[in-house]
Amino acid sequence: MVQKCVSCGMPMRTPQEHAAGDESRDYCVHCARSDGSMKSYDEALAGMTAFLVKTQGFDQEAARKAAAGMMAEMPAWKDR
Amino acid sequence: MAARRLTRSERKKATWGRLREASVRLCTRHGFLHVRTLDVARAAGVSHGAVFKHFPSREALVEATIQLVGRRLTDRLHELAQGRAGLRAALAAYLECVGEFEPLYARLVTEAPHLPERARRCWLGIQSAVCIHVWQALAEEERRGTIRPMPLHLLFNNWIGLVHHYLSQRDLFAPRSSVIARCGKELLEHFLSLVSVQPGR
Repeated sequence: MVQKCVSCGMPMRTPQEHAAGDESRDYCVHCARSDGSMKSYDEALAGMTAFLVKTQGFDQEAARKAAAGMMAEMPAWKDR
Repeated sequence: MAARRLTRSERKKATWGRLREASVRLCTRHGFLHVRTLDVARAAGVSHGAVFKHFPSREALVEATIQLVGRRLTDRLHELAQGRAGLRAALAAYLECVGEFEPLYARLVTEAPHLPERARRCWLGIQSAVCIHVWQALAEEERRGTIRPMPLHLLFNNWIGLVHHYLSQRDLFAPRSSVIARCGKELLEHFLSLVSVQPGR
């Protein structure tokens, strides 16, 4: 089964899709900072919101709400 | 040798699983908006009260059902897409996946705008997984210059809108059969001919 990012849920099919190209990390390249560490909730939320706007053309505020809703189900943020 | 007696926690987990599977079957038949907890209990072979020991409300049961369907659908999509490259392959994998889940997926397409917020959120999660899958293929084709230059979100929405239109009126496009089996190839070729720089790719 394809491993999914614990922060945003993106499937990670190749090592390059894992943070820092490291398959032992359970978060994706988009949820990682340039030093490879995992982005904070606010950083990840901003990234996911931008992704929804860019890929599906959602309204900014609707995208933010949708992103927050989806992140609430992710292992990294579930108990936040 | 006598079968081992299940522990209380194992029995609880088994009942929870039976309820969710029964709910999937009944939501396929009656829809997420109209499924009744009493019918789910009967189909799972448990008391009506047992439903509420596992799910605090009907809405929570529906939400758990969509989560289960979503996980199966997106796992299957990733499985089908594995090792395939290019837009045609990505769209074909999506159609194949939707075809396997067609009655339930079509229910989600038509009922999602009317679902409670948390359940709708699960649907958005499914759509986003589909979007990542298609969008990555679109972005790669754009990078290679093999599709016409257009905003990618519009291309994605064109594709998804086309397929969802057919799914939401399955009774008109493919009465008593699968609309994906009947029209999927035509939709795929049509979409590729619209977006490709060299149609027929």
